[in-house]
Amino acid sequence: MTDSSGAKRWKERQSAFDRVRSVAVTISEPKSADWIAEQAHVAGNTARDHLQRLVEMNVLRTVVGENATQYAPDPLYTRMQALRNLLDNRDRDDLLELRGDLQEQVEEWQTEYDADSPDDLREQAAHADTAEKTREMRRTANDWDIIAYRLQLVEDAIEHYSDYAGSTPAPA
Amino acid sequence: MFAFDGGYNPGQVSHTVLLELRHTIERHPAIQHASGEPPGQFIRVVAILNPAILGSEADEGTLTVRWYAGETADANPEFAFHYSDSSDFDCGWHHEPNPHVDGWAHYQERPAATDEYEYEAISFSSLQPVPLLWEILDRLEGRLSD
Repeated sequence: MTDSSGAKRWKERQSAFDRVRSVAVTISEPKSADWIAEQAHVAGNTARDHLQRLVEMNVLRTVVGENATQYAPDPLYTRMQALRNLLDNRDRDDLLELRGDLQEQVEEWQTEYDADSPDDLREQAAHADTAEKTREMRRTANDWDIIAYRLQLVEDAIEHYSDYAGSTPAPA
Repeated sequence: MFAFDGGYNPGQVSHTVLLELRHTIERHPAIQHASGEPPGQFIRVVAILNPAILGSEADEGTLTVRWYAGETADANPEFAFHYSDSSDFDCGWHHEPNPHVDGWAHYQERPAATDEYEYEAISFSSLQPVPLLWEILDRLEGRLSD
């Protein structure tokens, strides 16, 4: 297989290990080493070596597959990466403020659409007056799913702030 | 080994993809800086790029990425990679329900903000976020250096 020019550029800028990692941590379902190899533009054996290392590093987990071993992101690693992103350049007060902002956004959507959850909004979107409105509501439901997850993370980061930040909170 | 319990959370997978895209996009030579937007919410990745490296004469360009992994683990993702620059040109590679073409995948472009978009049905060689990012940056370069 000859690589497209986009794949060539990618290979110049990221190592085989990084390409395997970035494909493997963003999959929604467990995948085989051969599938990941093709997506990451590496040879099958190279992918298997890197995947094994990523399993040892607890970035990925192996999953019992029908034919071959399959790989999926380790949920703990996924969560840790997202928490690290939240905690970079944010202290506890910033997190409290962010929680307020995210809650406000959710409440805005709840009021605007009279919906409790993203799934509820999708349900309503199916019955919207126009196709345009349906698309807009579905797109909001997608954003809402992400914001709801982000809100969970912020709650977690606030609750365990001193553990995660490695410092005791300043006295009130 | 563990049995996969199918605990799929679309918000989690989408957010993980956005974090990874922000990380990898900065490896491209044309990208100056990428961040999660709006600040704190992180429902999009906004990358500031130097259009000259991609063959454009515009001074400043922006690539905005939306990504939603799908309601179920086996659903196709909904996404948009949309470029705009200081010359007022904008174009994007989208994969989502739309009234303009059959199917989800399309390219849209307008020469200026006051013009109507033109739409074209297209296909992608991968629907995986990171390989796709590099494919789209390559298509963008092809379009801007035209």
